[in-house]
Amino acid sequence: MTPPPVYILGGYQTDFARNWSKEGKHIAALIREAVEGALEATGVEPREVEVGHVGNFAAELYAMQGHLGAFLVDVDPAFAGLPTGRHEAACASGSIALLAASAEIEAGRYDLALVVGVEQMKTVDAKLGGDYLGTAAWYEREAKGVEFPFPKLFGRLGDEYDRRYGLKDEHLAHISAVNYANAKKNPLAQTRNWYMSEEHACARGRYNATIGGRIKISDCSQVTDGSVAVLLASPRFAETYARRRGRTIESLPRILGWGHRTAPIEFDAKVAESRQSPYVLPHTRQAIVDAFRRAGIAEVWQLHGIETHDCFTTSEYMAIDHFGLTQPGESWKAVEEGVIELGGRLPINPSGGLIGAGHPVGATGVRQLLDAYKQVTGTAGEMQVPGARRFATLNIGGSGTTSCVFVVGN
Amino acid sequence: MKRIERVVILGANGAMGAGSGETFAAAGITTTFLARDRDKAERGRARAVSMAKSEAISRYIRTGGYEELPAAVAEADLVLEAVGEELPLKRQFFDLVERHRREDSIVATVSSGLSMAAMAAGRSESFRRHFLGIHLFNPPNVIVGTEVVPQKDTDPALTAFVIEFLERRLGRKVIETSDTPAFAGNRIGFKVLNEVAQLAAEHGVLYLDTLLGPHTGRAMAPLATIDFVGWDIHRAIVDNLHAHTNDEAHAAFALPGYMARLAEAGHLGNKTPERGGFFRQVPAAKGAAQEGGGQGLWVLDPARGEYRPAAELATEPPEIVRRMKALHRVGRYREALGLLLTTEGHDAELMRRVVLGYVSYGLGRVGEVVRAVRDVDRIMGFGFNWAPPGLLVDLCGARPVIEALERLRLPVPRCLVDHAERGQRLFTEPFVDAGRFFHG
Repeated sequence: MTPPPVYILGGYQTDFARNWSKEGKHIAALIREAVEGALEATGVEPREVEVGHVGNFAAELYAMQGHLGAFLVDVDPAFAGLPTGRHEAACASGSIALLAASAEIEAGRYDLALVVGVEQMKTVDAKLGGDYLGTAAWYEREAKGVEFPFPKLFGRLGDEYDRRYGLKDEHLAHISAVNYANAKKNPLAQTRNWYMSEEHACARGRYNATIGGRIKISDCSQVTDGSVAVLLASPRFAETYARRRGRTIESLPRILGWGHRTAPIEFDAKVAESRQSPYVLPHTRQAIVDAFRRAGIAEVWQLHGIETHDCFTTSEYMAIDHFGLTQPGESWKAVEEGVIELGGRLPINPSGGLIGAGHPVGATGVRQLLDAYKQVTGTAGEMQVPGARRFATLNIGGSGTTSCVFVVGN
Repeated sequence: MKRIERVVILGANGAMGAGSGETFAAAGITTTFLARDRDKAERGRARAVSMAKSEAISRYIRTGGYEELPAAVAEADLVLEAVGEELPLKRQFFDLVERHRREDSIVATVSSGLSMAAMAAGRSESFRRHFLGIHLFNPPNVIVGTEVVPQKDTDPALTAFVIEFLERRLGRKVIETSDTPAFAGNRIGFKVLNEVAQLAAEHGVLYLDTLLGPHTGRAMAPLATIDFVGWDIHRAIVDNLHAHTNDEAHAAFALPGYMARLAEAGHLGNKTPERGGFFRQVPAAKGAAQEGGGQGLWVLDPARGEYRPAAELATEPPEIVRRMKALHRVGRYREALGLLLTTEGHDAELMRRVVLGYVSYGLGRVGEVVRAVRDVDRIMGFGFNWAPPGLLVDLCGARPVIEALERLRLPVPRCLVDHAERGQRLFTEPFVDAGRFFHG
């Protein structure tokens, strides 16, 4: 039996350039601003929300605060008694929250779900933050006592590409420069006023230091405070919602397909497992294939754009061939030919991605879905891909461990 | 079609010159940094590289002494003057620029408040048609709020072109202001800052910065801001405003006597760390030797012109401050501002007088200095990092603000009355989180 479609009514993203610790804010304020913003943006009444899901990676570490679902109830008196929960899968936490909410709608439990992704990361210095992020790997084996473990792990992803197919750092630098350039068109991007150029991204030195292996600062996503909320609806609610806004339900975007796979948590185990596969991260590839199948998409060119998980340039490099823009190992061709740029055949990360827009870990999956929503509704402003009707997201937790994919469209 | 591909910065060694130059070079525009000699210009380049955190912008920067001005200006599309804030000095440079510029090149000044008309007086028609102010705020690579100030002879099409260029190419948030003293941002902002400095004589420095701190919608408390800006700059701005404006804030622009005396004695704020300003950081050893003990933060007693350790003066913050901060901390901004309007007592009354005085004076400049509320909001939000007046009205409600202004006998701006009648939102700038202005 085909489950009923899940509609996206819209949402709200906080300005990712903000430093909420400097503002003296508790994580409750991040959640509140996103929820209030989403209610206002969609015109949904608080009393209409039936369930709340929060995606968050590590508030217990960064903000000494757990039990984040409960903070939704605090936002509005109409939320009294609202069933809520919090979901965690490292950097894919936001997508897991979306999957849980959409599954409940598909199951017919609820008609309207509020999903919030949130992370407050600037509470600690970069080194300690890097250590906290290490808990997204097998901490004891891969991160304990290692300075900035994740850049090193994703550096090794690049090394694995290099070993199998060859990899030039210039292609990674180009990916970085494209993301920063796109971020300049995104009014909510963390780096929108920062300086970046391909020449700088290629340079190694005082202002672009090596963080781990082949990974330089310009290859990295950002440490970001941010919160994003979206509202997901059943066909029943979407019908009423569309009617009261003078629209048809067909004009509302929905989740056309999803994929969700988990690989072994240790990076070495992933690589060992994928030796026989043309794909370096076959479970990520499978999540994409699953989502395409559910969305009825035969090939990647049926998409008009992708918001992918560029926690490092190597992860975007991986996404290019895993999505099927090129044959495995040939991502560099799409980079060289300008395919992934705004104006290219299939733009990747018009928002600037995690490198340009920022990466509040638990919020990223929700941010990607909201940006995909903006694209397919023609409301993405300067970062709009003209005529976009179908967009995909790829959100990854750990070193390619948990992969979540959504295809969004009308 | 006009283009800006080559820019010359005069006075490129200073903070504003190097910072302005960085914003052009970072956009990939060939920028010539000129200063008294090449070494000084090179120091400007180093500052720009450090601001961009990239050696890569160096390729867009050329440097030279003023002997290279004729050749550089001759091929420039835009000459931006950032020399000292003195009219005779600026006019000397404009003499040179006029002699060597192309007929179609744009000439601009980063002046934060001098009269554009006075700078343009006596110049050729071509110069006057192409001359305007581009007031960037310090540091220009961080603060994107920008004022564009045409004078009466500036070609309106050129003004429109410059605004478009600054917004599209350099990512600035631009407003156009009239050629009135200190333009919009500094006139509105320094009215508040100087008013607080005046009040400090009676109420004390620490109390006022606590009462009117970041919970009232600003990144930095007012007196700490004056220390950050520098007392000399503060004095130049408010003296100019006191001499050349005559509105309801005239008295608020009078520099307090204690500030005049201390500034004469070399107390200029953070730039004179030994003497300090409203605050002084006393290092451990010196504190013990010179002041009879107590390193750390010392606070000015305006009446005596002496400093005392903050630790001795610190008391519990007023109840309203504590409650507003607690609400901001969890994102309940509307409720916090509701307290500002409704709480009784001396602390709240003083806070209301200053914060609503800012709303009144800011919105009151619509029609005189700027065209629309959006302009005031934009420059206070993106230039000062203060909660824009229109946003404060939206969060408090227009009617309650009008009633409070009437109770305080402060002018009720026409645009506020019109707005209250229409019942629309006053703050219209997109993609701005209201919460970013209010600190917990």
